Amino acid sequence: MSMAQAVAAHGYGRATSIRQGLAPWVFLLPTLIFFIGYQIYPIVRVIWISFTNYEFLSNEPADWVGFANYIEAINDPLMWQSLWRAALFTIMFLPGTIIFPLLLAVLIDRVTQPRIATVYRVILLIPAVIPSTLVFVLWKWMYNYQVGPINHFLVDVLGLFTVYDAPQWLGGTSLTLPAIAIMEVWWGLGYHTIFFLAGLAAIPKDLPEAARIDGANEWQMFWHVILPRLAPIMMILVVLRFGTAMAVIDEYLIFGGFNRETPTYTWTIFMYDQAFKLGLWRQGFAAAIGMVGAVAMVFVMIFLLRIFRSRD
Amino acid sequence: MTIRKEQEYLLQQANLRLLNKGAIDRREFLTRTVAAGLGLAGVAAVARGGGIGTAYAQDRPLTPTFYQWIEDLHPGIPTVNGQFPGINYQIAPVEGFGIERFVAEAKDKKSTWDVYVGQTPFVEMSAMAAAGVIEPWDDYIPKDVRDDIIASIGEENLIDGKMYGWPFLLDVIGTGWHSGIIAEAGLPDEAPANWDVYLERAKAVMDSGAAPFGATFDSHGWRSLVPFTHSMSPDVYKNHLFDFTSDAAIEALMLMKKIMAYANPDILLEGATDGGVNGTPDEVAFAAQRVGYYNKYFNAPLRMAQNWDDPNQLHLGPLPKFANGAGSTVFWTTGSALFKYGQNKEKAAEYIKALTYDRQIWKDSIVGTPSGHPGQLPPYKSIYAEWDANPPDWMPPFVSLVRAQLDNAKAIENDIFGLQQFVIGKPIWETYLKGEESDPKVAMQKVMEAVQAEINRGK
Repeated sequence: MSMAQAVAAHGYGRATSIRQGLAPWVFLLPTLIFFIGYQIYPIVRVIWISFTNYEFLSNEPADWVGFANYIEAINDPLMWQSLWRAALFTIMFLPGTIIFPLLLAVLIDRVTQPRIATVYRVILLIPAVIPSTLVFVLWKWMYNYQVGPINHFLVDVLGLFTVYDAPQWLGGTSLTLPAIAIMEVWWGLGYHTIFFLAGLAAIPKDLPEAARIDGANEWQMFWHVILPRLAPIMMILVVLRFGTAMAVIDEYLIFGGFNRETPTYTWTIFMYDQAFKLGLWRQGFAAAIGMVGAVAMVFVMIFLLRIFRSRD
Repeated sequence: MTIRKEQEYLLQQANLRLLNKGAIDRREFLTRTVAAGLGLAGVAAVARGGGIGTAYAQDRPLTPTFYQWIEDLHPGIPTVNGQFPGINYQIAPVEGFGIERFVAEAKDKKSTWDVYVGQTPFVEMSAMAAAGVIEPWDDYIPKDVRDDIIASIGEENLIDGKMYGWPFLLDVIGTGWHSGIIAEAGLPDEAPANWDVYLERAKAVMDSGAAPFGATFDSHGWRSLVPFTHSMSPDVYKNHLFDFTSDAAIEALMLMKKIMAYANPDILLEGATDGGVNGTPDEVAFAAQRVGYYNKYFNAPLRMAQNWDDPNQLHLGPLPKFANGAGSTVFWTTGSALFKYGQNKEKAAEYIKALTYDRQIWKDSIVGTPSGHPGQLPPYKSIYAEWDANPPDWMPPFVSLVRAQLDNAKAIENDIFGLQQFVIGKPIWETYLKGEESDPKVAMQKVMEAVQAEINRGK
């Protein structure tokens, strides 16, 4: 091989190698663009804003203020109070999201007649497909102090209360968070039950049979055979729903408003209030509130993941 | 700079101002620029300022945008639109009074719309002006129209002497009552003259069993605390902010507590829509015919009475007075804002003039239509004078009543915290109303401190 041929062959080899090296990146490009543009950039942008004095209504350029917004947020009692309110709602909501769907799934899983099992599944899924607006209108009416059917039942049918002392469910009383939690559990019941039904379908049939032959009763079978195998499903549900419960905002805006003393004034409302309502809309500070809340959530999520980690 | 260049510069700037105001169109600007010997230099100057883009887009049709509820309550708007061929009528993305979209567009020096109909001065006008979203109407509103606006309403729409809002729909806070309930309670079918009489009658309604509740109000400060305060004295503003510690405000708070003894127990709860400010418990109680007397802007009892067996049983009157009080109340208008980066500004002024003078809109508003009965009134002296001179056969008595109240009413002053001061303060003054704080002065002092703390945040 002449020198020229060797150089040409080497060049060809390099070009091929570059092409081969680039090929995966070309295929990865759409995902990378999506990931960076849709996932990374907004987070980085919010982090950057949280270190500035950015005010949406101001025409002045934002200045870098270091950790000032974080210091202000951490020193504000409303930050912790509002974070605690969100945690309180999560504590009320999360057990209902796991326990009721789990029990329902176990019951439905035992229905042997396929047509009836399908009917149960469809009925359970009805709330999950109702648009949120309709759900909020329905439950607002249900909980209405003066004309709602719940108070009508308690006052006019059971006579447990009068029109002067009937429960005030919504609008910022101590009953508001439990009332919203009940609505949310109802709303997600079918959806969450389907998760557990999928988990139950994945358990090999010979496992319960073997346990039964070994003399396990129904309770022991549920506790020692079925529940451990549903742990991964529970972990997904707990982590997902913990995140959504802590970050609820629509329901609080609709059922509670911007009254700072109400239980629905959580860190998400505090953030929204600062970002879109008060003064010149201090979005730098609001971003810091959001980051503090997000970090607190991440810590709890890590804790939850450890609890529900696989022990097999 | 040579004299010649200085002249060119001055002419260029003058033409640029006219172009940006919409006083001349793109063609006229280019003609004047060339005539002034500026040529491409002038065009380049406009392009730098973003003016040329605006000028090119001047060809778009007039594009007003309305807050949804205005269209819902005033079905005559499409008829006015019919007078403006090609109009691009739109509904604004402002659910819950949110102005984010307007601000975001202004930051990019553009606006999808030319004029926004739905601005309430004390709610969002200061914020829109501060953010550079809107510009004053002064250069576009005809002088005769400006002079025709009732003085107090004109004042309400000013910031630093410039007219940032063109008023449209007038709301005044007064008293409504269910005459059927009042008659059953053996009470006279007339507005209580003062708060003492009001409280006596509210008690009488409950004692008689005519209704479970005697009286109600909307617990949001600008709909109860402020009008009740104004009924004692409207002179309660310091640096455009409400003085919660004034004697009149303290009296008003004490009055609210007294009324609550006869009110629906859920009176302090947040409402059902718009972040809790609308769909409030007072409206539900009044609509359900469970309460005798009701204080709110007149369109609330008018709308709620549509749910009654006989809506004609609703009667209206002025807000009661305190003994030795000023007898004032609160009014506000919902009107139009002119987008700084919008176009068709002169056309927008023509449109708003046609809209706000349209007699059918006012008749529908006052008499009611199948789509609603807002009871909102016009802001112009000439319309009332016309009605006084030739009273239409459809004219109900509440119109002259509201007009009379207006002479004595005062708007909440404009400030970026104009509305939010009451949102911040509500949970604090409610500690007194709920009995958690026994001294109203202490509660109101804490409100002042909380509002000030929020204003000082980040400073």
